[in-house]
Amino acid sequence: MAEHQFRLAPAGAHRATVLLVPPLFDEANRLRRTLVLAMRALTADGFAAVLPDLPGQNESLVALEDVDLERWREALADIAASIVGPVIIAAIRGGALIDHRAKAAAWWRLAPVGGASLLRTMMRARVAADREAGILSSLDSLQEAARTAPLLLAGNALSPAMIAQLGTAEAQPVEPLRSVGLGADGIAGTPLWLRAEPGEDAAMAAAIAADIIAWSQTCGII
Amino acid sequence: MTDTVDATLRALLADVLGLGEERAAALTGDSGLFGELPEFDSMAVATVLTEMEDRLGITIDDDEIDGEIFETYGHLLAFSQRKVAG
Repeated sequence: MAEHQFRLAPAGAHRATVLLVPPLFDEANRLRRTLVLAMRALTADGFAAVLPDLPGQNESLVALEDVDLERWREALADIAASIVGPVIIAAIRGGALIDHRAKAAAWWRLAPVGGASLLRTMMRARVAADREAGILSSLDSLQEAARTAPLLLAGNALSPAMIAQLGTAEAQPVEPLRSVGLGADGIAGTPLWLRAEPGEDAAMAAAIAADIIAWSQTCGII
Repeated sequence: MTDTVDATLRALLADVLGLGEERAAALTGDSGLFGELPEFDSMAVATVLTEMEDRLGITIDDDEIDGEIFETYGHLLAFSQRKVAG
């Protein structure tokens, strides 16, 4: 079943399509406003922009505990294949762990992160929440429990396969790739994906769009 | 080194808690964190720990963490400086 996609495009013909691969889990919510602002900036420059729901996320009818990173990679490959014209994949944070199966004319990554780091943070949140509730748990005991049954981490029911894959997932080589971080040499802005309470940053969104557009031109994509 | 850890920690709390530069700069050793700042929930605690590892180049074990570390900015800074010093 096709998942919902949020797509923006200029009226009439458009240039290439930017397929945004959002950060994973809660980080996606924290960055969503800014990503959509970046999509608007892309369409103002003639690009189409697509922000898909991954299976098990947002409006998806699939249960999160039935998916893993492999399924997300396949889903993104299908979405990219369904797009007419050149595709630029723009992945943010954990999105970079699932962006390499899809075919594209160019890749762009912002602050890619290893799966182990994302998993560790979610496990720690669970340990901290357990402690507040008077339950004694540890990263080790959670890891053990996750071998055989879905584990609820920060509101996400993650399957044993998802947890095992996250534990070792790293961004894979793709070509041509521009990988940027935050700061003077990359995108000016703050790591909104870390924010306890979601914020938004229009200037950062504009910088994201401008960097993607410049990279697409460097790659000779019209 | 001490100043670097302090600056890194303030920037990190500003990023995670959305404090803004001014509030982050105004933190003192007695400033309350967990239980005091409404933004500082269990997810924020977890995010702060992982970011401390990344930005300070340290590894934090489960059993090193007790509630006290997050009580005040001073406690968190002292813990970080101990870890960085090895």
